[in-house]
Amino acid sequence: MSRGARRVAASLLLLFASAALAAPLRLWHGYRGGEEEAIERIARQFTAETGLEVEALAVPYDALSSKLTSAIPHGAGPDVFIFAHERLRQFHRLKVVAPTPALETDRYLLPAVAALELDGAHYGYPLAIKCLALFVREGVAAPDSTDALERVLPAHLSPDTFGIAWEAGDFYFHAPILAGFGGQLFGADGRARFDTPEMARSLTWVKSLQDRALLPQEVSGALVKTLFNERRIAMAISGPWFASEIDPQLGYSVHPLPVVSQTGLPMSPFLGVEAAFDSARSEQAEAAQRLARYLSVGDATLQRVTLGRQIPAELAAWDDPLVSGDPLISAFRAAAERATPTPNTLEMARVWEPMKLALKAVLQGGVAPEDAGALADRRYRALNREALPQADPRPWLIALAVGVSWLLWRHARRPRQPSPETWLGLTWVAPAALGLLALVLIPFVIGLSLSLFHHEAGDYTFVGGANFVDILTSRGYRFNEPLSFYFTLAVTLLWTAVNVVLHVSLGLFLAILLKEPLLKLRAVYRVLLIVPWAVPNYITALMWKGMFHRQFGAINALLGLLGVEPVSWFTHWSTAFAANVITNTWLGFPFMMVVSLGALQSIPADLYEAAAVDGASRWAQFRHITLPLLRPALLPAVILGSVWTFNMFNIIYLVSGGEPGGGTDILVSEAFRWAFQRNEQYGFAAAYSVLIFVVLFVWSRITRRLSGEEPA
Amino acid sequence: MSDVRLVGLKKRFGDNAIVKGVDLEVQAGEFLVMVGPSGCGKTTLLRIIAGLETADEGEVYLGGQRVNELPPRERDVGMVFQSYALYPHMTVRENLAFGLTLRKLPRADIDARVAEAARMLELDALLDRKPKALSGGQRQRVAMGRVIVRRPRLFLFDEPLSNLDTALRVQMRGELSRLHRQLGVTMLYVTHDQVEAMTLATRVAVFNQGLLQQLGPPMELYLRPTNTFVAQFLGSPSMNLLTARRDGAHFRGAGFTLDAVGEASGEVKLGLRPQDLRVADEGPLRGEVLAVERLGFDGYAFLQTAAGPLAARFEGSSVEVGQTVAVRPLGDVLHVFSADGARALRHP
Repeated sequence: MSRGARRVAASLLLLFASAALAAPLRLWHGYRGGEEEAIERIARQFTAETGLEVEALAVPYDALSSKLTSAIPHGAGPDVFIFAHERLRQFHRLKVVAPTPALETDRYLLPAVAALELDGAHYGYPLAIKCLALFVREGVAAPDSTDALERVLPAHLSPDTFGIAWEAGDFYFHAPILAGFGGQLFGADGRARFDTPEMARSLTWVKSLQDRALLPQEVSGALVKTLFNERRIAMAISGPWFASEIDPQLGYSVHPLPVVSQTGLPMSPFLGVEAAFDSARSEQAEAAQRLARYLSVGDATLQRVTLGRQIPAELAAWDDPLVSGDPLISAFRAAAERATPTPNTLEMARVWEPMKLALKAVLQGGVAPEDAGALADRRYRALNREALPQADPRPWLIALAVGVSWLLWRHARRPRQPSPETWLGLTWVAPAALGLLALVLIPFVIGLSLSLFHHEAGDYTFVGGANFVDILTSRGYRFNEPLSFYFTLAVTLLWTAVNVVLHVSLGLFLAILLKEPLLKLRAVYRVLLIVPWAVPNYITALMWKGMFHRQFGAINALLGLLGVEPVSWFTHWSTAFAANVITNTWLGFPFMMVVSLGALQSIPADLYEAAAVDGASRWAQFRHITLPLLRPALLPAVILGSVWTFNMFNIIYLVSGGEPGGGTDILVSEAFRWAFQRNEQYGFAAAYSVLIFVVLFVWSRITRRLSGEEPA
Repeated sequence: MSDVRLVGLKKRFGDNAIVKGVDLEVQAGEFLVMVGPSGCGKTTLLRIIAGLETADEGEVYLGGQRVNELPPRERDVGMVFQSYALYPHMTVRENLAFGLTLRKLPRADIDARVAEAARMLELDALLDRKPKALSGGQRQRVAMGRVIVRRPRLFLFDEPLSNLDTALRVQMRGELSRLHRQLGVTMLYVTHDQVEAMTLATRVAVFNQGLLQQLGPPMELYLRPTNTFVAQFLGSPSMNLLTARRDGAHFRGAGFTLDAVGEASGEVKLGLRPQDLRVADEGPLRGEVLAVERLGFDGYAFLQTAAGPLAARFEGSSVEVGQTVAVRPLGDVLHVFSADGARALRHP
């Protein structure tokens, strides 16, 4: 046993021993950097004061929510967890969070307390608030209205610089503008409304900024950071997290978002409240309440402010000169006074995708601002499928029983004599069989069953084949709309065919070049050409995504040198599709090249000589010798490649992201969206997956027949 | 008229000179066998004629036309490879028809020619098989058929029988001879097997170290070799070579004296074919028997004499290993070569 292994064993022993003595309070959070440091310090302080052990665990923020909702109901989660309030309703419904009857409501900022209220009860202790504000570079006059903004910005324009930037394609950033134009997203009935005059006016205003180049195109968070740090914009709209991304050499100030001059209303951003929630399943409920409260008040607050740069929710903290004297923190407090807590309703989760569609349609797609609302409305209705009627599960169970008994009967009918070898054989097969069972068979059966259910907010309803009927009859949208299964299937098939053809032809072409023994530096080229394959494909995808950017991408820059007008790659279906194909071809050809190279090298040279003497030109040799002899090696590679491409989620999701309007989504990315971006319609997504399985199953039968023709 | 003419051909691979200046003329309708040990350049020569290699220096003429720059397919030659190089993915019929299909001959012509070749080579029953379902001899015949159907002006064979067992080889030799008589076409045949050379050729070209040693009908080479290399290369067992010195009316060597013939003087190499020597009770050469190769009634004894190893024929008499025996020549059988072996001075 190595020293390292001994050390690990020893620490594991210690861990178990301490767990047996007194279970520490478990605290889960998604913080990193200064915020994480603050939380760890506060936890130690808490232990010193109370003698209660705390075990703080930083979970990646993206995974935290799903970990909480899966771990806590099984009694395996934390006692206290820190999360934003938007998920409160979901946590409550899944019985993950415990109420906080003892919350001292007057201790905290009013909107923060309001955000934590659900049906008259409060949940969690508010820690910090987050909202959008206006970051203004030093030397630029901070505008308090849109008119002032539009007066200030043109002075900062040049071919290479812009006025202001924010992630205009994201509704989180558009919400304050909509509010400033008097728009209300939710009607009195709680349902979202998009097709309103206020929506049209807010979109018109943003579009007018972009048309005047005051606002750049296709802005991402990374781009805002780059532009601001390179002094290419005068202002940015962002949240408190942005402060840590700004170049420390750069002077700036933070202000509340301006008032919309047309209406006189302030832009009102969404307010996110981070709170320490108590787990509903904590075995030390009292201690957990103590810890959660401790995190939210007094010295803990100051720690979070000074170390974590948080905007505190506790009122008392504002009397401390450390807090009130901090210009950034006071600026965000001022901004928060105009903010509205993000609704924690289920309806809220449903507006993001339709709004994204509308925003991108206006900013990139040439849709008039007046028509975008209707577009979002249509998408909203298509995505939020009405609950399906419950179906009678009995016929399904009977069919299942009949199927299983038939299989068992067929199995039992076959005469067999178990021998000692049978058992020995079974033990040898068992590890692999168990692995397959756990990793393939069980998930498959669960996925299959899931496709017969409708999921809404934690409740599963058995609906029989209704999901499939909806998909296959394209209910709610036309057959030729991007949301239709048939449209997506056609895109997927085209995507697969185009890619495989390009991968094979490019790979084969390069393999033939590389095989040429006279080529100098052959080994170097070979390594270089395999590199795209060696780089993780999501990294490649993100690099290409950046290169396809309309204003800042390398590809348009190169085209510009050739005198070609910049192409807005993700605005049109054909260019977005081409961008995906280019990226995936870059990733896919090395595999085919390696396979072809190996197969080419196994073709005896004298066959080419015999053919040359027989009268074959180079092309005839390729056609009659190379291609037929490559077939046995290339066919499996093509089959494999086609399946990979058919399900190539990363490229679609990261490069075009389905733009424009979901038109370039393939089946698997569409299934992902239904499951995770459209109100968690797990059953519907599972039905999509089953259909994907059916398509690939049919394809594998066809290809088996194709390769069956090969001489064995 | 000469059908193939090579002028001053040279070829090197890296630092290795493989062909060092070869001039050769092959007459129309001839079956010329190029023979020599491994690495003597004979295969390279054949590949240069086919157009699969380019010569560094010198010229290749086919039917009077200089073809140095022509690709193989424009030279109108057919070639049978040592490995046969059959197209594994094609049936026998497709293999045979391939060259014709490329030349876009009418379907009916192709079928007729394939049928004819198949009949000639007894491949009729195998036409729909793929190469891997054929025996070695059958593959060999397909490889020949592939050339026959194209009716090229020149057939090239690169050690075509070397992958066959002895019995098949004898049979195929016969078939090749028959084919040559039947087609009357010029054939160039590379081998390292002197038996193939002797039995097949109208003329034999012996190569060594990239140079042509001697060119002529097989029996002329056997009877009148121009140097000790050719003398030893043809005939089995090889010709005995003994170093001797002319001393008036005698050749004297280590432990032997033979009656002198011819005009040679000074130091010479004497050549004696084992077939021309008999183990006997009395003779000018004596030695200890190291090995015996008995072929039935007669055989060869391999002796160690004072002048070096010596092979001699014996008949009937019981020759045993370890015995010391005498050997005598059967009449005027002495070949005389210059001391360095490069020139023949006298043949019997």
